[in-house]
Amino acid sequence: MVLKPKTIRKLITIGLVIAMALLFGMSTESFFTVRNITMIFRDASYVGIIALGVSFVVIGGGIDLSANGIVCFVGMACARLGVLAGFPAPVIVIVGLLAGALCGYLNGLAVTRLHLSEFITTLASGYIFAGFAVFLVFRENGNVASAAVTNKAFLALGGHIPHTYIYISSVVWVLLAIVVYIIQTKTKFGLHTVALGSNPKSTMMSGVDIDFLKLIGFVLAGLFCGIAGIFQVAYQSASTLTLGDSMGFQAVAVCAVGGVVLGGGKGDAMGAFLGALFMVILLNGLYKISPSPSIQFIFQGLIILVAIFFDTWFNRMMEKKLFSDAVRKRKNQTPLGAVKAEG
Amino acid sequence: MAEQKIVLRTEGICKSFNGVQVLKDVDLEVLSGEVHALMGENGAGKSTIIKIITGVYVKESGQIYIEEQPVEIWSRQDARGNGISVIYQELSLVPELSVTENIFLGQEIMGRFLPDRKEMRKRVQALIDRYEFKINPDAIVATMGMATRQMVEILKALSIDAKIIIMDEPTSALSTAETEKLFSTIDTLRAKGVSILYISHRLEEIYRLADRLTVMRDGINVGVLDHDEITPERVTTLMIGREVRKNEKTHLREPNKDHVLSVKHLKYRDLLSDINMDAYGGEILGIGGLVGSGRTELIKCIYGALKQSGGEITLDGKPVNKVIAKNIVGGMGLVPEDRRTEGFFPVLNIAENLTVASYDLLAKTGIISAKNEKQFAADAIRDYDIRPTTSTVPVGNLSGGNQQKVVLGRWLSRKPKVLLLDEPTAGVDVGVKAELYRLMEDLAEQGAIIIMVSSDLEELVNVSDRILIVHKGRFFKEYLYENASQNEILLASSGVDTGKGRLL
Repeated sequence: MVLKPKTIRKLITIGLVIAMALLFGMSTESFFTVRNITMIFRDASYVGIIALGVSFVVIGGGIDLSANGIVCFVGMACARLGVLAGFPAPVIVIVGLLAGALCGYLNGLAVTRLHLSEFITTLASGYIFAGFAVFLVFRENGNVASAAVTNKAFLALGGHIPHTYIYISSVVWVLLAIVVYIIQTKTKFGLHTVALGSNPKSTMMSGVDIDFLKLIGFVLAGLFCGIAGIFQVAYQSASTLTLGDSMGFQAVAVCAVGGVVLGGGKGDAMGAFLGALFMVILLNGLYKISPSPSIQFIFQGLIILVAIFFDTWFNRMMEKKLFSDAVRKRKNQTPLGAVKAEG
Repeated sequence: MAEQKIVLRTEGICKSFNGVQVLKDVDLEVLSGEVHALMGENGAGKSTIIKIITGVYVKESGQIYIEEQPVEIWSRQDARGNGISVIYQELSLVPELSVTENIFLGQEIMGRFLPDRKEMRKRVQALIDRYEFKINPDAIVATMGMATRQMVEILKALSIDAKIIIMDEPTSALSTAETEKLFSTIDTLRAKGVSILYISHRLEEIYRLADRLTVMRDGINVGVLDHDEITPERVTTLMIGREVRKNEKTHLREPNKDHVLSVKHLKYRDLLSDINMDAYGGEILGIGGLVGSGRTELIKCIYGALKQSGGEITLDGKPVNKVIAKNIVGGMGLVPEDRRTEGFFPVLNIAENLTVASYDLLAKTGIISAKNEKQFAADAIRDYDIRPTTSTVPVGNLSGGNQQKVVLGRWLSRKPKVLLLDEPTAGVDVGVKAELYRLMEDLAEQGAIIIMVSSDLEELVNVSDRILIVHKGRFFKEYLYENASQNEILLASSGVDTGKGRLL
């Protein structure tokens, strides 16, 4: 059986995740402990959930860098409501989700109605959303202050599933990954998004409303940032203005590592999931070897470079294979006879 | 043969752009189960009539009939709704999706919640079986070769019950073996009663495929030939019309054999093989052939913009450098085919565009002398009659002809020893054309080597001192000014040897 390039790419990422885990497992004693594994899945769930949302935009050929701002804004909104005594927790969650989706909707509008470039729009809107968070921040005598969230039901979201070591956010992340995977590979919306990222012109010519696709992509990205923001605030039981810091770039980087290539049409939720897992395992293992943050930054950057380099190379190899097949065929041809002139 | 119905008929179609009439009362008729070819020189109006039929342009007057019913076509959707499908030169498939997904893109058959893949696959398989294609409905398009992609595109057309499929130069991206595959597909389609309107420059293809051929010239349908009447002579006579040589050259220059650009056994990928030529000082060497025959690649190899796969290029006995900057300093210049992307910088002004390749002269110390730059630009604007004469206007705002004068002027100001031109007058009006020719002639008088690639037969015949024709990656024929004619060149481009000219 011949494997499709897509499948090969996925197997490579899975192999890398396993290899990385084994490597750290053997070199450090505390890696394969229940505590550490649950921690990895908890940390990965935040960036992982965002990456799932952002993958819609990236597969559709766009980019969304605004996650840092959205997470910060949603987190601050939830924290604000979380200190009110007797405020119902489900309402906090709904407000958080709506705030995230609204931010995404604004991104989508700017891109589809004002025809602004996605890169610049979301880079700028990330700052704007973070600015909204500053409006909401707690103040004491005019100075920024921190207040602990007191809503018990809300805080429970940040903890374990009762009687287990598993964090709720990790479970939600896995479930969302499955749902998103199905959406991206089995539904009309998913197929159309792949088509959009792969060849926007012909997608449009096939009668698909590509602006609507882009808009929904951004809304989903915003919504997922909202989910991640809620979990992070619930876990930390407070929100700061640094919440979500650098998440915008990280989410895109995680996508790239997992084979959701910038430029569109490639990869799916499984890639975004594996990419997040890989990145967090790497950071976790590196921390155990050396707690210096410089090593972590450098490695994170290197991994992104290597991932992008690898994808370029990988795709070229696949094309080359095609090309060489074509040339081989061409060598076995008989030339077409030219028309003979009369007289 | 059973009585054939008329599938598509146009009557008196007219169209003009900016007051220039490009189609005059065009009547066209395609029968069921017929491969109907459409030929004509560049600018004869082939593309325009196709775009009107497919709803890209709106006609000014006339009527289109489908199966003898008058129809109105205002958009691509209208065309599709009337059973007209186009296979585009640049294919419109989505590479990351499968064959089935591509065929049903935007028209998915829905199950309860999700698209019904089984049903769609079944229908595609039925279509594949019916037309005897060898395609796997689950294959991803990105993993397919060009010919197979084209078959998917045809399948897509068939899936919406196309009555007529329009193919515009479908073989331009195919290898010979792939072309043969496409032809057998077309034969099958014809046998199943599908009509095909086939546009091509290649005579041998037309001869192989067409049941009938319509020839267009200057926006008019100048004749319809049955298969037996399709001979190279008749076709070229129709395409070119009565040939008159305008502005006969008054004196012929004597090439200077001491100043020579020599190409030996040049090979470029699988596009060019064993190219040999000598271009002499004081001569305008024209290079003709079909689009895609490797002409552009040849001059880009000489310039150093492409890396040749084999062979050698020498100028006056010394090997030509592989670095563009060194070639420019050595006296070479290139006016590229696509001036908008390769020729000029739209946001930079006239002066900057003119001086951009001459900073070796203007900025000897590394700092550009504003005074010298201004003088350089002013001289060029005067000598080459560039309008407007204000050197601070961005070149993107100029007319096509003046843009080309800027690109040409950039090199002329350097007094080049070798000037390479690729379709130098494409999209330029007649007045500017004459000026560009005069500038080229002047440069030749001064002893430079000029190599001009052109698809404009009139230009090749009238401007070149000598013409080489590329066919299938090799030089096929050589004509001198005295024995060149548009007819001859058109035939040679398709690989037809009439016995005139020098066979290479």
